Amino acid sequence: MQASRARLFKEYKEVQREKAVDPEIQLICDDSNIFKWTALIKGPSETPYEGGVFQLALVVPEQYPLQPPQVRFLTKIFHPNVHFKSGEICLDILKTAWSPAWTLQSVCRAIIALMAHPEPDSPLNCDSGNLLRSGDIRGYQSMARMYTRLAAMPKKG
Amino acid sequence: MQNPEQQVAEDEQDTADSNRLPTIDDWANIKDCDIMQQQSAIQAEEAHKLPYVGDKEPLSVLEVEYQSGSPILQKKIKTLSEGFAFVRRTRGDGNCFFRCFMFSYLEHVLELQDKTEVERMKGKVEECRKTLQNLGYVDFTFEDFFALYLDQLESVIQGTEASISQDELVTKCRDQSISDYVVMFFRFVTSGEIKKRSEFYEPFILGLSNCTVDQFCKTSVEPMGEESDHVHITALSDALGVPIRVMYLDRSSCDSGVGVNHHDFLPGAADLQQGSDSGSSAVKPYITLLYRPGHYDILYSK
Repeated sequence: MQASRARLFKEYKEVQREKAVDPEIQLICDDSNIFKWTALIKGPSETPYEGGVFQLALVVPEQYPLQPPQVRFLTKIFHPNVHFKSGEICLDILKTAWSPAWTLQSVCRAIIALMAHPEPDSPLNCDSGNLLRSGDIRGYQSMARMYTRLAAMPKKG
Repeated sequence: MQNPEQQVAEDEQDTADSNRLPTIDDWANIKDCDIMQQQSAIQAEEAHKLPYVGDKEPLSVLEVEYQSGSPILQKKIKTLSEGFAFVRRTRGDGNCFFRCFMFSYLEHVLELQDKTEVERMKGKVEECRKTLQNLGYVDFTFEDFFALYLDQLESVIQGTEASISQDELVTKCRDQSISDYVVMFFRFVTSGEIKKRSEFYEPFILGLSNCTVDQFCKTSVEPMGEESDHVHITALSDALGVPIRVMYLDRSSCDSGVGVNHHDFLPGAADLQQGSDSGSSAVKPYITLLYRPGHYDILYSK
């Protein structure tokens, strides 16, 4: 508990320093609980998520950094490796390939990379995975873009 | 297509107690966090059976274990008992090699009160720190693990307030908050060494897993619970300059009879093969591990 708190405090300071380096990622620590974080990540360019801002919820376990943070999308997203309803993410570093070499910041970077490079062979969203696997890139892109517009962009007045 | 039951289940999700154990009906709803919870429950159950590092036991426990086992193994155990008196088991949680190395090494330094070795090791640890920095690792991701290892190293030398006895060393190696951190320190060191000398390790890694050096380190070295192979042992032995002997208790045999094979991991052996081999005879491993397919334990010579 003490070790995880100390580590998170270091990450907090790092996040303040990195702000300018990583404009795609905005990591915000809960005011009263250093084990709860929110991230706002920008959809990568030249993907159907471009122009969207996606909110992630990060819950850090007491065993951190020996155990990974739990991360899920709060913003609705149509992506093969994100559960459409729960926002759960299928990413090896959040499960079996986790190591303390990762940080909350680099986890967010990995999620942005996953948005740009979906892995349809291990889908959590089968509809999305099937579109990609059957080669219907246009179908996948238009669905993903529609949900980006609906859920991840400011509403036009 | 919307199934009414599914809808109810979703509504429940928000309020459901996350600790509740999944039943068969729940398979559709099972989430990754449930799987991870189940995994840690299994690990906790295993923990009751054997601590991270067990007690020193006479080698005869192996004879009992293989009483009705293969005759080749029984013969090998007999041969082993000529040279070794005790075995110390470690938990089979995928970290057993690192756990064996931690205990065996610290116990050796504690018994000999070898201050020169502690200083030599500190120098190696600093080299490993630089290796990771040069590879682009962020300091705060590994420094806690380095600091905790150095604390343990200091504590086995008597005469300071932090000094510990052998019994306390056992207790510490069984304490998750220390033991796992030291294991993770070794994983960082091993990963750094493999990446630093990637051209040397690449062919071995290709033979093991058909992936790149970076991928191998990411998926098979750095994560806790990933088992060690000869690549890991070579890299750790090299990085820290500690020779390791492994006795192989498996069912292999040859015409000339049943002998117990062993392999010595000698630091810098790969370099010595290329250049002059003067000085390679000087190091004799003081850490001896017993390998049974998939697991390592510690052996004590007579």
